Amino acid sequence: MPLWFLRGLRRGVVTTRYPHRPDAFAAELPTPPAFRPRALTSELADQLAGICPSWALTRSGTELIFDAGACTACGRCREAAPEAVAASGEFELAATELTHLVKRIPLLGGDDS
Amino acid sequence: MTRPGTEETAEALRRSVASQFGRSLHVRTLDTGSCAACEQEIRLLAAPHYDLHRLGFFFTPAPRHADLLMVTGPMIRAFDVAARKTYEAMPGPKLVVATGACALGGVYQPDAFTHGSVGETLPVDVWIPGCPPSPLALLQGLLVAVDRLAEKVRDLAFIQDGDAG
Amino acid sequence: MTDLRPDLAAGSPGLARLLSQLGQTAPAGDGPVTTVRVTAADLEDAVRRLAAHEGARLADFFASGGNPAIEGDPVVLRLIWALDGDRRYLIIESLIEGESYPALSDIAPAAFAEECEIYEQFGIRPAGGKPLNRVVLPPHAGPDFPRLGRPPAEEPAEVHAQHEVGGHAFEFPFGPVRQVGVESLYYGLVTSGEEVVDLYLFTWHKHRGVEWRLRGRTPREALFHVERMEGLGSVGAAWAFAAAAEAALEIDPPAPAVRARAVALELERLYNHAAATAALCQSTGLTVGQAAAEIALERMLRLNAAAFGHRYLFGVVDIGGARRGPDSAALRSGLPGAYGDLRQAADALLSTNSFVDRLEATGILTREAAQRLGLVGPVARAAGRAADVRADHPAEPYSTLPPVVATGKSGDVLARFRVMLAEADESVRLIGELLEAGAGPGLAELPEGTTSRTDRSGLGWAESSRGEALAWVALDRSGRITRARLRPASVRNWRGFDDACRSQNVFTDIPIIEASFWLTVAGTSR
Repeated sequence: MPLWFLRGLRRGVVTTRYPHRPDAFAAELPTPPAFRPRALTSELADQLAGICPSWALTRSGTELIFDAGACTACGRCREAAPEAVAASGEFELAATELTHLVKRIPLLGGDDS
Repeated sequence: MTRPGTEETAEALRRSVASQFGRSLHVRTLDTGSCAACEQEIRLLAAPHYDLHRLGFFFTPAPRHADLLMVTGPMIRAFDVAARKTYEAMPGPKLVVATGACALGGVYQPDAFTHGSVGETLPVDVWIPGCPPSPLALLQGLLVAVDRLAEKVRDLAFIQDGDAG
Repeated sequence: MTDLRPDLAAGSPGLARLLSQLGQTAPAGDGPVTTVRVTAADLEDAVRRLAAHEGARLADFFASGGNPAIEGDPVVLRLIWALDGDRRYLIIESLIEGESYPALSDIAPAAFAEECEIYEQFGIRPAGGKPLNRVVLPPHAGPDFPRLGRPPAEEPAEVHAQHEVGGHAFEFPFGPVRQVGVESLYYGLVTSGEEVVDLYLFTWHKHRGVEWRLRGRTPREALFHVERMEGLGSVGAAWAFAAAAEAALEIDPPAPAVRARAVALELERLYNHAAATAALCQSTGLTVGQAAAEIALERMLRLNAAAFGHRYLFGVVDIGGARRGPDSAALRSGLPGAYGDLRQAADALLSTNSFVDRLEATGILTREAAQRLGLVGPVARAAGRAADVRADHPAEPYSTLPPVVATGKSGDVLARFRVMLAEADESVRLIGELLEAGAGPGLAELPEGTTSRTDRSGLGWAESSRGEALAWVALDRSGRITRARLRPASVRNWRGFDDACRSQNVFTDIPIIEASFWLTVAGTSR
């Protein structure tokens, strides 16, 4: 047992200070997308909805509906359209209602349906 | 799954339940068909880097001793009975936290194999996105569930800065 | 200057003789995969010959066809034999017209669970009337439940081997909701008090129908689900599947991308072995050791995120190569520390007698059992079966950078632990070499649109942390999947778990043995 004890003391504390202080490691994690409405045409929105493997993106009229709960942060939408989609950097995503996770992103231009 | 009355009433109920857990909470996990990655992240909550004990959270194998049920997986239909039994074995007040994209309606659509969402079988209080949610995200979710951290995602728009569209 | 080394690519004379006995008239060729068509009448004989062939192992057995929408659509059986001594995979294809085929598990016991699965999914059964277990589909799966083929005429039974015990024994079900933080697993335990007389697993309760779901998708679309079939083995599964699709499409990933895959695969092996170490400590009640191993594990997962953008390495493998390449600088600076933590914890554990005592002579799996059941990975290697596809069926980059394969002799928990530690060491060495040779993202171009070639198929494999992961895929003319077969190592190795628990163990040994196998339920119940 002394062998474990001494090694533990030498190593020090590795425990995160979260939630009292932010944890720098969070910046290295994949996060759901954030969108640029100015770059989101209806065509692009349809394309992204087809690419998403987890049914997190659907187009409804002049909006792109983004379900952050279904999103796996796989990055396929971002890789397909980097001018319109970037990583949001958000990881504190817990919601008390599923509806809080469904976001409406306005599309560029008028109303195509 | 019915929710009592309006969203405000449900929210008040959840907060009153959460406030009773004060500084100590016992967590039971339930796998309804996950790929096993969520379970690995949950196990790491007790590991030195995250140490959920310092926040007053503890894992317990017995549903009878549990205050909070952490559910992973898309609720495979073959699991309904086991899931309900586990939930009903927990004495009230109790909370349910659905964990990971599969449990929140992603990855699997409802079909003959799965419900696609934990909410189809159990009443869920908090939903934690991720594939898998990292232990930091899980900590935030647990703290939101017991009302020690405010929910953040409700006010996020997922629109890039400087782009009001 | 004559090269005295034998030309292993062409196979041994024994292989040539075997192939001619199986009726293969064309030359064997030098590919790593040979397909032989055998009639249903000759199937039993073929299997007998293969079971007797030196170094042959039944790696998988599955069916396709039997589309209920097409009247009389026949079922095609495929047996995948790994001829580890000849560096060859041999696929035996056999068309079955009727409702039965020769009983193969009598000759090759490793085929039994697959015979059960084929009955549940395709409705055809081996001759002889042997009772078949429910293995894949849940009990409520009636004739309309989504299947790969036609429903069986009768429900499969729940049949388990007779057990003899002196005095009284009682039998009770355990699970599926069991210890906190572990996957659901449902098994039956037969005991006369403390000792495990028998243990049998139910493997249908996490069935998500992954193979069923992949039909009609492109391989690229399918990869998202393949990765999430067994999240702790995502790289192994994704690599095997991508390799199968690439074989079918006849494309070759660029060399740096293949090395990127290998870096990810070795990182996956490393963190799994660290996780198994932590689980071993937890199962023996050594909390301090568990914490030390978990520190190593967490550092490795953070390293995965730094190197490839995801803690569990999702999104690295793609059809045609690798979508992401490793951040070599991050790996070079982070890997020594993370591995050093594991190494220190392991050295301390192996000097802790109270820990080693729990592992020694626990959960013994004999070499004979590993052979009979077709087991793979560290579980088989620790029992003395030195099979590792990186060495036995080398594909790039392992053909240029072969690993040293670790084996054990005693087949107990301690031997499995030692094998995992040796493999972890070797993985770190390999990662260094792969980075040195240059690893980065890159994708070979996929063929566009439809093709005039008839349906194409391919076999892929990878040595995941749990053992050989196999995948076989058949594509139609437009490149969409008509049949995908996914066979992670967990599918094979769980049947060794029953055996290992039975050999003079008590209840408290079961979690220790489970940690030493370090399989997943998701990988078998897919």
